Order: sequence, then structure tokens, then C-alpha cells
Amino acid sequence: MFYADQGVKVNDKAQKLMLSAFALFATLLFCVGGVHANEKVTYRLKWLRNVSVIGALYAESHHMFEKEGLDVDIKAGGPERDAVRELELGYADFGEASADQVLRARAKGSPVVVIAQLFQVNPLQWMYRPEDGRIRNLSDLKGKVIGVTYGGNDETIMHTLLAEAGISGPEVTLFGVRYDYTPFYRHKVQLWPVYRNAQGPIISAQLEKAGEQIAYLDPAEFGVQFVSNSVITESRTVAEKPELVKKFLSALLAGWQKALDPENQGEVIKTLQTYDPDTPRPILEEQLKSTRELVQPHLTVVIGAIDEKGWAQTEQIMRTQKQLAGEVDLKALLQPVNVSFKKGQ
Amino acid sequence: MLYRRVFQFFIIYFLFISGLMLLKYCLGLSDYVIPALSGMFQTLIAEYSQYSFATLNTMTVTVIGQVVSVIMAFVIGITGRQSTWFGSFIKVAAYNIQAYPIVALAPILFILLGDGFLTRLLIAAMICYFPVLLSVLGIVSKPVEDIEHFYRVTGRMRWQLEVKIRIFENLSQLTTVITGSATLAMAGTIVGEFIAADAGIGYRIRIALYQSDLAKVLIALFLIGITIAVYQALLELLGIAIKRAWTGR
Repeated sequence: MFYADQGVKVNDKAQKLMLSAFALFATLLFCVGGVHANEKVTYRLKWLRNVSVIGALYAESHHMFEKEGLDVDIKAGGPERDAVRELELGYADFGEASADQVLRARAKGSPVVVIAQLFQVNPLQWMYRPEDGRIRNLSDLKGKVIGVTYGGNDETIMHTLLAEAGISGPEVTLFGVRYDYTPFYRHKVQLWPVYRNAQGPIISAQLEKAGEQIAYLDPAEFGVQFVSNSVITESRTVAEKPELVKKFLSALLAGWQKALDPENQGEVIKTLQTYDPDTPRPILEEQLKSTRELVQPHLTVVIGAIDEKGWAQTEQIMRTQKQLAGEVDLKALLQPVNVSFKKGQ
Repeated sequence: MLYRRVFQFFIIYFLFISGLMLLKYCLGLSDYVIPALSGMFQTLIAEYSQYSFATLNTMTVTVIGQVVSVIMAFVIGITGRQSTWFGSFIKVAAYNIQAYPIVALAPILFILLGDGFLTRLLIAAMICYFPVLLSVLGIVSKPVEDIEHFYRVTGRMRWQLEVKIRIFENLSQLTTVITGSATLAMAGTIVGEFIAADAGIGYRIRIALYQSDLAKVLIALFLIGITIAVYQALLELLGIAIKRAWTGR
């Protein structure tokens, strides 16, 4: 009897234990399943995590991708990273690339497509000291020493500006630039290419300390529109996963919209400081202000809108300078996606 | 020897290209990711002359850089072979310089010396001198007892003779190290050019990468490979000639 009672007790205990274990297992399964419910997506940035990609950083830090049911892995870019190649090789689902990169890839048969354009005005501009003479016309470039990155798109843009002005080779001196700004600081070079929103405020602050002022030569003001960074993906993704593309772009562009809203400046600066703790706050504020003007130059401009005329001019410039093997079908390349922002985004 | 090295390089290069083509066509990659053979051929025709001159420019710096580094390695190795305070100091200094990555030092050099010939030369020499130095130190610090004993007991041993004996006995090893260090000198020069110079094949590769043009990079690799293969073969032949002249065999 004793043994039988004990056996019943043991069976009860075992049953309870099994039930508890099952409940725990089911809860775990639910939780794990819940995490994996979000679709995994990789987004390769063009450059490092700084103000030029603030929209993506804001969307990430404010869980905007999760709200769309996406688990987005944002990977920093750099000179050795090429989002177009990563898309083809399957390392990324979406990416950021400059227009020249995209056009070159497309001319060589890459299935890349542009789904949104982040910068309406190219941030790549030339800084100069207005005390040496303001550049009001392109003919003012005559006799100047101008910095260019040989092989970079600033070289392409400068050649176009010079051709527009009818300035021939011997009338200007092109100077190969690198990371070191000393030739500009020492007045050896009069115009130096910089990313106006990222490097511009830093250099400007340094020169202000020395009592110097800087101005910018913006090629767009002289009619040269050379498109900058855009959001890209593969044509197959657009065709086969239109919902994914829509969700991703909705969250990303909502991130940009929020990040550029002056009301959110405090939060945006906080986000920037997590990646760039060494840059003083006033400079970060200036960088953000400048980015705002480049991404949304007028309130009528929709963030992410594709400037088809700008793309056509960029393609024309590259073909004129023999940087493209053939014509690129812009209709097939530019595939804007209509996105709507959800409430609360 | 020269033909064999060039032939072997061709085999390696074409195996590499075949691997790339296999990948390209198996994965259905565009010419942007991996260029087609026809595209590479067109690039070769278009860029051959410019890239050949750039490679020769790099090679000139490499050869001079290597000569400088071999001289540096011998001076430091012979001075540092003694277990005196100065010998140990020289060794510590030489090892420390090697501990700093060249990508960190190169920008400083370019700022101080400009992006001309001298900086590239210095970087090439800095990268390739260390393995030569280690070998020289190893060789000149190790006595060849059988031969040196005679000169010591007869009181005719001098440091020049000591070094000469040790180098003579290890000539094959030294030739191998010097030949191998040519690759490092070339790599050093290219790294320097890639970082900041305004000439040479490293500079051309940087421009090609800016333009995302892998065909140009592959052509550059071909020219670098073939040049270094010829140079190494010539160094080996020089080593054999020196040995023959020295030993009479």
C-alpha cells in the first residue's frame, strides 16, 4: 500500500512537472517565434554612421523598422564597401549608393534599381575663402588651383563645370586631394572638395577660430545637377517582394522625416552623439541643419523623391566624359515606390 | 629560371581568373561585380600603355627601396649582432619601427615629405627591410665554429672577416630572403601609392576602385605579378652569379 500510494504521489508530481515544463517550452517557443516573426533585412550604408545617414539611424534607434515588422541590420559603409556588389552577391537586401556608382553598374548589366533619392542637392561641393574673391560666375574659376579627387565624382563634376565655362586645361590647375587639408589651410589650393553637411561645419569652425570665413561653390547653382546618394535594391526584390520594399522604405523615409524635423532636433543630436561622441554639439547641430537643406531644400519637396532630370543630366555628364560604356535606360533604373507613413511614425 | 617563373605566374593568374569566371557564371553575376573576359581584354588594350608605365614607375621605386632596405638591414644587423649595449639598442629601435603599422605611419610621412618619390621609397624600404634584417641578424650572430676557430687561435680574426665568413656560409639562405623581400618591397610601394601618392600602379588601382572598375584592377594585378616574377627571377640569377664569382663554382 505504502509503495502504491507513493507511486501515485510520484506520478502526480511527474505530471505536474511535465505540465510546467510543457508550459515553459510553449512560452519559450512563442517568445522565440515572436522575435523571428520580423523579416530579416540587411541595409548597407554608403558611408560611416554619421549625419549623412541620420534618417536610417533615427529609424533604427526609434524602432521604426520593427513597427513595420522588419528586423533591419544596418551596416556601416566605407570606401571599400560597395552596396551594388553586395546586393548582387546576396550580402545585402537594400543599400545606399551614389548615382555614378549606380549608373556604372547598370551600364555593365547589374540588376540594380533606385527606389528613393536621399539627397536632392549633392553635398559634394567646393569650399573656398570668399576673401580671395567670390565665385559668382564659373569664369571666376580661371587661374585658380582647384582640388579634385582623381577618379572620384568630384573630378567628373569639376570637368563639367570647367567645360560649361569654356575654361581649358592650362587656365586652371587641378590638384589631387587626399585626407589631409594642409594645402587648403596653407592657401596652396583655393578650392577644396568637401561634403558640405559632414566635413563643411568642422572645417568652417576650425577656420573661424583663425578668423577666416568659408563659402561654398555649389555646382547645382550653376546648372550642374549630379545626383548623390540614393536607396537601391535589386529589380527582382521590387518585382517579387513589393510589400517588403514598401515596408522598408516607409520606415526609412519616416526616419528621415522625423530626423529632419526641427522639433526632434534634441533627440536627433542624442542619436548622433552615440556614434560620434567627440564632435561638439554646435557642430552636430550645424551638420544637421546643412543636411536638412540638402535632403529637403523646400518644404514642397517630398523626402526620397527621385529627381529624374537630375539623373538624366548625371547620365549625360558621365557619357560625355566617357565613363559609361553606353546609354542607361533610366526608366528601368528609376523605380520610385509610393509609400505612406503609418500613424505615430 | 626566368621563363619558369613567368610561366608559373601565368598558371597562377589564369587559375585565379578561371575561378572568378566560374563564380561569375555560376552565380549569374553582372560585369559590374566580375568583368567578362572580353571586357578585361578591352581594358587591357585601352590601358596597357598607361598601366605599364605606372608599373615600371612602381618597380623603379621598389628596386631602389629594396637596395636601401638591404643596406639598412646589413648595417643594423652587423652593428646589432654584438651583445653590447649599443647592439641591443639598435635591435630594439629596429624592432620598434617594425611594430608600427605602415598604414598609420604613411599619412605622417606623406604630410612631412609630400606625396613624391621619397615617401614611396621610404615606405617600400620600411616594409621590406625587416625580414632581411632578421635573416642578417640570425646569420651574422651565429658563429661558424669550424672555420672561425682557426682564425681566432691564430689571432687573425677581425669583425670584417667574421661577417664575411658567416655570410659566405649562408649565401643561399640570404639570396632566398632577399628575393622574397622583393615582393614585400613591391607591396610596400603599392600600399604607399594607394594611400596618397600621385603616381605608380597603386595610385592607378585607387582610381580604378573609385570608378568601381574591377577590370582595371585585374589588369593592374596582372602587370604587378608579371613584373615581380621577372624581378625575382633576375634576383635569383644575380644570387647564383655572386655565388659563382665568390666560390668559383
